[in-house]
Amino acid sequence: MITQMQVKGLMFDPYNNVYIVILRDDDQAEMLPIWVGKSEASSISLALENVAPPRPMTHDFMKSYLDAFQAKVISVVITDLNENTYFSKIHLTYADSEYTVDSRPSDAIALALRSQAPIFASESVIRKQTSEELDQWLENLKPEDFGKLDS
Amino acid sequence: METRSSQATEPLIQLVVNRVVEDSNTDTRIIVLARTDDAAEHFMVWVGASEGEAIKRALDAAITPRPMSHDLVKSFGDHLGIKTERVVLTDVKSSTYYASVFLENKGVARTIDARPSDAIALALRCQAPIYVTQDVWRRRSGQNLDAWLSKLETKEV
Repeated sequence: MITQMQVKGLMFDPYNNVYIVILRDDDQAEMLPIWVGKSEASSISLALENVAPPRPMTHDFMKSYLDAFQAKVISVVITDLNENTYFSKIHLTYADSEYTVDSRPSDAIALALRSQAPIFASESVIRKQTSEELDQWLENLKPEDFGKLDS
Repeated sequence: METRSSQATEPLIQLVVNRVVEDSNTDTRIIVLARTDDAAEHFMVWVGASEGEAIKRALDAAITPRPMSHDLVKSFGDHLGIKTERVVLTDVKSSTYYASVFLENKGVARTIDARPSDAIALALRCQAPIYVTQDVWRRRSGQNLDAWLSKLETKEV
């Protein structure tokens, strides 16, 4: 069972000096925070804000690489979150065949946003988040944080 | 277009990545490349910290618990049968270098625009050769960079 998620925004976690990508389902019932590095957060932010940088960033390059051979990102699925090791799958079609490629969620999300591909999360991943943690993040979430990223 | 035609007639210069130097003052990295036909002749490219680290990991053959961005690009290639043939540093404008990545799959050749950092990070992972055009080589940054670089490295030690 998988649930479609939307990228709601990015938060900075000053205690751990990392960024958190906030995914929510369409009913706003489930939330999935994903910790990402600064450069990954910056790449996701550029895609969210629809900013075209003067030179292709790494995920723009990644998309050009796939576009060059008409390989298409169909969907990405966040499959597992274990401690600091996160897992996701990128589903591609190329020359009438389907491929599934293992990736970090940060790369998968950055690529999905550039490819207009849907993002899904497996049920087990969503369930692993405790409700107290969710409440705390929700409290800290301000609308002005959405889609914005300092520096 | 004139430069392009002259580039086509002049042989490319092959480079190898020599090392990645940290410029702690600006939180950037300097990618030091050397000519394969004259290791004493260097070519330097300034890149961001994370881009520099991506190149350093490839240089050190470092294993990460999860695939990093350029490992993912390589993985796409491995799955789809796309081969990275070579990368070429093709142009420099206002101190910004431009690169092209030459790809091939089942006889179909494609060239994509890239920043040198992405091109080099992918080339190292795919054992693809790295070249610079004669034109870009001639227009590379100042000749006293080697001295400046050794000073920077001495300071770090």
